[in-house]
Amino acid sequence: MAGFLIKRCAQAVFVVLAVTLLVAWAVRLSGDPAIMMTQGAGSFTAQDLENIRKALGLDRPFSVQYLEFLKDLVTFQLGNSFFGGMPVARLIGEALPSTLLLASVSLLVSLAISVPLGVYAAVHRRSLADQVIRVVSLVGLSLPNFWLAIMLVLVFAVTLGWLPASGNQGPTSIVLPALTMGVILTATNLRLVRTAMLETLTAQYVMVARSKGLSERVVLYKHALRNCAIPIITYVGLQFGNLIGGIVVIEQVFGWPGMGSLAFDAVAARDYPVLQGTVTVLALVIVIVNLLVDLVYGLVDPRIRAE
Amino acid sequence: MSWKGFGALCVAALAAPFGALAAGTLTVAQQQDPGSWDPIDTYLVNWSMVANNVFEGLVQRTEKLEIKPALATSWEMIDNDSKIRFKLRQGVKFHNGEPFNAAAVKFTFERLLGAEGAKGPQQSNYNAIDKVDVIDDYTVDLVLKRPDPVLVTKLAGYGGMIVPPKYIQEKGDAVFNTEPVGTGPFKMVEYKPKVGVTLAANPDYWGGAPKLDKVVHRFIAEPTTQVAELQAGTVDIIYPVPISMIATIEKAPNIAVVSVPGPSVVDMMFNVKNGVTKDVRVRKAIIMAVDREAIVKQILQGQAAVTASFQGPLSFGYDPALKPLPFDPAAARNLLKEAGVKPGTEVQFDIRGADAVFREVAQAVAGYLSGVGLKVSLKPYETNTMVNDIIPNGRTGEAYQMAWGGWTFDFDNTAYLMYHTGEHWNPYVSDPKLDQMLEAQRATYDSAKRLELLRGVAKYVADNALDMPMYALNTIFGVNKRVKNFAPPADTRYRFTEVTVE
Repeated sequence: MAGFLIKRCAQAVFVVLAVTLLVAWAVRLSGDPAIMMTQGAGSFTAQDLENIRKALGLDRPFSVQYLEFLKDLVTFQLGNSFFGGMPVARLIGEALPSTLLLASVSLLVSLAISVPLGVYAAVHRRSLADQVIRVVSLVGLSLPNFWLAIMLVLVFAVTLGWLPASGNQGPTSIVLPALTMGVILTATNLRLVRTAMLETLTAQYVMVARSKGLSERVVLYKHALRNCAIPIITYVGLQFGNLIGGIVVIEQVFGWPGMGSLAFDAVAARDYPVLQGTVTVLALVIVIVNLLVDLVYGLVDPRIRAE
Repeated sequence: MSWKGFGALCVAALAAPFGALAAGTLTVAQQQDPGSWDPIDTYLVNWSMVANNVFEGLVQRTEKLEIKPALATSWEMIDNDSKIRFKLRQGVKFHNGEPFNAAAVKFTFERLLGAEGAKGPQQSNYNAIDKVDVIDDYTVDLVLKRPDPVLVTKLAGYGGMIVPPKYIQEKGDAVFNTEPVGTGPFKMVEYKPKVGVTLAANPDYWGGAPKLDKVVHRFIAEPTTQVAELQAGTVDIIYPVPISMIATIEKAPNIAVVSVPGPSVVDMMFNVKNGVTKDVRVRKAIIMAVDREAIVKQILQGQAAVTASFQGPLSFGYDPALKPLPFDPAAARNLLKEAGVKPGTEVQFDIRGADAVFREVAQAVAGYLSGVGLKVSLKPYETNTMVNDIIPNGRTGEAYQMAWGGWTFDFDNTAYLMYHTGEHWNPYVSDPKLDQMLEAQRATYDSAKRLELLRGVAKYVADNALDMPMYALNTIFGVNKRVKNFAPPADTRYRFTEVTVE
């Protein structure tokens, strides 16, 4: 187990390094912050642009800028925003908890819907309920997330006035973005739970458990579901990357002040330090989640623990 | 619930919207957090939407674009127009209690023109100023190193905003960025990065305390979300309103669309150096082949004005007597024939791919041109590539999209950059006569003479058909009807002194 962990950690470091290099390189292709800063400035000359680039340190070779970014990274000083000079570490410090909160609540919403429904659909295979659940999840799968977001806002914020349309102004603010994200995730999770459950239900130990006279609830949730847990956890872990990707869009639509909004603004403004910082931290989060998933395997499956 | 029921519910809800806004508090949505409130760090309109209520310059500009006294009570050009002498307003205090005086003016401009200012985009707009001489506590001279007839206008905004010397020296720039202190009618009491800003009325404001207690600005990037907040009654003023959302807002009884002519003008510049557009007859034919009135009416829903030069009706230098070439496809076909351009000739128009509205406009333009026998291929570019590479390096097709216009509303802003030989974004036009006119208007403080010169530039450009001005866009706000006395600013620089809410 220890050897396995060390190997995975080394891999993680490599992945994060590759991400930093890629993002630092790609962001510099995307455009010139000096131009963005002078948008609408009226009169300015090529010399003015040069002065701004120099003040921002963009006149130095890429290798120097990249190494400086790495140095900032290991000291947890992620540099300062080009726009206004606010420390990137502070911006991320405020945004990351919001994003993680939204991600976890979305995931919980999704699991709370998809596990019982998935199990039910598997047990009552080919029933009307199963068909309905499958069709609904297919519809959910094909919904663009921003469209769903706008519809939910229209109904619950504009029409009914029950919930805030955007921002984070208290506990009610998380409902709509988490619901949107949760529904999107549910579409895939539901099908996954159903398929995994169907496979498990044909296994011999389920038959044994039933023939022992155990109640159906114990058979399903104690014996069968636990054995489905591995594919579900693997998938949810893998899905975390998609979840973060989806959250970038959802945060933007709902004006949720998290990493997605931060990255979105940074792209629009070509704010290199903020973008580098957010992408690297998000990559780090995804890598850590995947590591945790590996560890959780051991908890749910004693065979892996023993290896 | 049935769809019919849902529809009825929508209507009912719009008639009686949810809204729990406190009287005395105005809530405004804007797209972006400028990141710093220091006047020398930014040129973003999103900065001035907030900061115009917090800071003041020596002069201010009204919604009608008139220059009025602000922190200076009067000013005059002295010593052969080499200095501007300002008499300062007495008894004014910054929000932290620090007195406003000549030392504050000197500090502001030395900071702007020094090392601190060099890091930001503001300095170059004010570098006609050589230095500031303090004559007495309430008199200063701005000593000029070259003439700049737009300077006084520029003192009404952005880098010319007066900042408190003691506060900045004691607290440092980082604190000033997030906790700005000015002399304006509102003071900033809270700033949450990426979330919003709260302003509170400054009861000691020299012009009289504002009528509102509080102004809350929220950063909401998505225009659709802004509209939802406006419909829900949770935000009072939104900007910008996308043209596609106007109908939605107009349908609701409690909110309205308010639009005024704005600073942004959209234009197709011609490649006058290469290709068929080298010929002035072809350029005129292209202009006459396109029904721009119809485009503005159909695609832009009337939220723009067709213009005869690269400036809007509010711009200094605009000439109402200068009319655009008429829409006349038959005459266009004749001109093309005269120029020896065969039907089916291909031309390439470069556009900004991200600009969805203009993409539609460009398709209409291509349609009109196919009517006179020109085959237009539209080439979309990423805006940055277009602005940083394709245009400066002269690698465009026969025509290319340009959008320009600054908050100063002075044609000099656009004309000099677009038509003067050797300017960064002017790869093609080089005309000594035009250069001479453009330089002459920069060298005089005589407004009448400048107006004449700038109108001359516009006419010369139109006569030579150097570009096809498309339209000047309106500045479009969505406003809750409970907001009273809101004067929509063409440049989006809000001033909420007189505004009240019910």
